[in-house]
Amino acid sequence: MHRILLVPALALTAVALAACGSSAGSEGTSAGGAITVSSTADACTLSATSVGAGSTTFAVTNNGSEATEFYLYAEDGQQIIGEVEDIGPALTRELTVDLAAGTYQTACKPGQVGEGIRAPFTVVAS
Amino acid sequence: MLGNYLIGLREGLEAALVVSILLAYLVRTGRQSHVRFVWTGVGLAVALSVAVGALLEFTSANLSFEAQERFGGIMSIIAVVFVTWMIFWMKSASRSIAKELQGKLDQAVAIGGTAVVVLAFIAVAREGLETSVFFWTAAKATESTWTPVIGFALGLGTAIALGVALYKSAVKLNLAVFFKWTGFLLIFVAAGVLSYGVHDLQEAGDLPGLNNLLFDVSATIPPSSWYGTVLKGIFNFSPRTTVLEAAVWVAYVVPCLYFYLRPARSAKPAPKATVAA
Repeated sequence: MHRILLVPALALTAVALAACGSSAGSEGTSAGGAITVSSTADACTLSATSVGAGSTTFAVTNNGSEATEFYLYAEDGQQIIGEVEDIGPALTRELTVDLAAGTYQTACKPGQVGEGIRAPFTVVAS
Repeated sequence: MLGNYLIGLREGLEAALVVSILLAYLVRTGRQSHVRFVWTGVGLAVALSVAVGALLEFTSANLSFEAQERFGGIMSIIAVVFVTWMIFWMKSASRSIAKELQGKLDQAVAIGGTAVVVLAFIAVAREGLETSVFFWTAAKATESTWTPVIGFALGLGTAIALGVALYKSAVKLNLAVFFKWTGFLLIFVAAGVLSYGVHDLQEAGDLPGLNNLLFDVSATIPPSSWYGTVLKGIFNFSPRTTVLEAAVWVAYVVPCLYFYLRPARSAKPAPKATVAA
């Protein structure tokens, strides 16, 4: 009879995790307020490279021909603040992160390899 | 098209492999009645993944990056436990099959329906959530283009077709050969899942050493190539492997292979103190 318990338990865990994520604050960022990112074979173009502190959504569109990834790194370019993998060609996936004021690095990784196309990203106190 | 096809293929391969081996095992050992438990587990996993994926995609609910990685990491480790148990349960069954006649088979290969449901559920649910979120993303894009969702569906379809082909050849193999090779294969599958789980926990920041790479062969085995996809899909081979991932992989494979390949010595109840030579 364990299976009767296990499945709802896993379901609850997943829902609880999802609930935690949303309470962490996606409020205030509407889909319209997202920073759009266009990833191609040789470019990673953001609609803004500076934003106020708080919850920020990156809507990453793959305009290249291979799957891509988008990363937001801490200032050191090593520690991952957030990432979204497996963005297939012609698709858009979102990354929502809660950001404190400071300097960050963004990176697109077309072909899902290497260090990526990096650029600085600034979050100012709001 | 190709990029989305390869993602679908990669996401589906491992689950298709484990489920077809499980089905072949049950059929080969005369447990056809348990086949429905496999489909129960698969069905529950698919339904749950699709539902939670839709929740994440269409409501304001979203998993934080850490929660996502942690979920992936923990699911992977749970999956390794179950697949390892499956490997050694198949090994003990193969030993009895070699020694006993059909009559005793039932007892040797006894496995509860619950265990089968859980095993099938875990095999599919591990990557199920990721796959479902990807599917919904592609489905949303159909407003402008159908190519991604079609490519993705074809990729998943290919994985399932390969699973069916594996099942068909597995049920024809000689039993001893079947057990030996499927167990061998599953050890490497499970080891890959384990190091993938470790990588997820490294990305979440729960384990150190994310940037401490042992090797980086992404120039030779690009993840966007078909062979990179197949290696990733079946063995979770990462072209950029961290030292910790590799260490955990070796720490799993070596003892498992040792115990798996060690000749069975259960012909007669041997004295406990005897150590294998």
